[in-house]
Amino acid sequence: MYYPEPISKLVDSFTKLPGIGPKTAVRLAFFVLNMKEDDVLDFAKALVNAKRELTHCNICGHITDQDPCVICQDQSRDESVICVVQDPKDVIAMEKMREYNGKYHVLNGAISPMDGIGPEDINVPSLLNRLKDEQVKELILATNPNIEGEATAMYISRLVKPTGIRITRIAHGLPMGGDLEYADEVTLSKALEGRREL
Amino acid sequence: MYINNLNLTYYRNYQDLSVTFDDRVNVIIGQNAQGKTNLMEAIYVLAFTKSYRAAKDKELIQWDQNYAKIEGTVFKRQQQFPLEMQFSTKGKKAKLNHIEQQRLSDYIGALNVVMFAPEDLYLVKGIPQVRRRFIDMEIGQIQPIYIYHLTQYQKVLKQRNYLLKSLQREKSPDLTMLEVLTEQLIEHASIIIEKRFIFLKLLREWAEAIHHSISQQREELTIGYHATVEVLESDDKEKIKIAYLDLFQKNREKEIERGTTLVGPHRDDLIFYVNGRDVQTYGSQGQQRTTALALKLAEIELIKAEVGEYPILLLDDVLSELDQYRQSHLLHTIQGKVQTFVSTTSISDIQHETIQQAELFFVENGTITQQKRG
Repeated sequence: MYYPEPISKLVDSFTKLPGIGPKTAVRLAFFVLNMKEDDVLDFAKALVNAKRELTHCNICGHITDQDPCVICQDQSRDESVICVVQDPKDVIAMEKMREYNGKYHVLNGAISPMDGIGPEDINVPSLLNRLKDEQVKELILATNPNIEGEATAMYISRLVKPTGIRITRIAHGLPMGGDLEYADEVTLSKALEGRREL
Repeated sequence: MYINNLNLTYYRNYQDLSVTFDDRVNVIIGQNAQGKTNLMEAIYVLAFTKSYRAAKDKELIQWDQNYAKIEGTVFKRQQQFPLEMQFSTKGKKAKLNHIEQQRLSDYIGALNVVMFAPEDLYLVKGIPQVRRRFIDMEIGQIQPIYIYHLTQYQKVLKQRNYLLKSLQREKSPDLTMLEVLTEQLIEHASIIIEKRFIFLKLLREWAEAIHHSISQQREELTIGYHATVEVLESDDKEKIKIAYLDLFQKNREKEIERGTTLVGPHRDDLIFYVNGRDVQTYGSQGQQRTTALALKLAEIELIKAEVGEYPILLLDDVLSELDQYRQSHLLHTIQGKVQTFVSTTSISDIQHETIQQAELFFVENGTITQQKRG
């Protein structure tokens, strides 16, 4: 690197972000140099605060700035339903829908023996504890529809089944507003499998 | 179907090539190491998104460049559409009609290619992996969803093998996850086996008749499938599933002990019999060649029956490997209906009229000159 050290350090930091290569990192670093000092300070603060002030909720594992999180504290929510998702971003997606009024449990990952991730490495034990303590009637498994997500859902369902709690898996199939002819064969065959009586 | 234009950029030893082919027979002539096979390979890659002889996609890129591109115009069912494959250090892109296809299974099958190279003579006597690849590629061309199940199967298999290895280290292993992965594995395995059985039935119909004719009615070919699970070829997915469940249950301790998955489609094999005898073990060189040729010709007919059009045939340096009789049988079969690419060092020893009427392309060090014979 031929840049003065402060710049090359900044470039190195940017390259640590996903989707940022060396060229973009240089461009961003030089952009920062031309920013107003106040803006840079705000930016730096925002970065640090996001890291310092956010923790994972003790109950559900969602990211939060207060523990327990807003959703877990909310008395108006239906405590008898828990929706299990892989990622905090999935909670946001579900919340945007404004249809679901139950609680969540964020696994923060999926079981993958290949990557050395077992059930204890994601929030499965805390989910099982919750099911013991709370009055849960239904568990909705909303992990991703890929091999790891599917395996994680199947694993949880095997552990929970004996307790008699109702376990459901979100449906796979055609996106709404789409055309049948544009669907790929796999999605289409899943949609056919999951057809229902009208 | 046929391929009209082919453009190669920084592909192997081709810097920048643009060539127009005849819709029947094209003969590629050149000395060794001039780029004949590279040209055949390019057409193959355009169809299957990967090479049959390169371990890594990177090998396809010219050594001092950072990308390679193959573009071709395909005519199929009275329609014309462009195909494009791009390789760079970051990965590969497959474009159909200028639109990038995220899933390779959406791309493979647009262009149907049957390749017959000297390596294919090993189809009969080589390792089981060669025969599995043959059957997987052929089903995949006809039914892209098969590729999906195959890749899912391989992913689950990998996860399962890792889990089995990690269970070895534990004194009281948690078997729930193993049950989950076994269930996932069986789900895909049973579909793969079911589709292989359906394909085999079709393959037999064609291959056995063709073999009979090449051997001048002297030999009977039968194709068997050796499965690691006890099933009948008439069994459907559900029956196969039950058989697998049972088998995995029985093998559980052994699998944990060995730390790997012991049964499944990835361990199955095809067996060829001529007049009731296993050709791989007891067949002569000639019988093995006839069997390989019959399988390849059957593939062509099978694709025609399933897709509605003949695939493109690539004959890479293989004509010289066949005797006069088998040569003319092969050339007679394709005559006037299959777009064929023949690569050879010299055409003087091929007397067949199909070759004498063909378009000739001379390859020298990555450049091609076309010459029409009068």
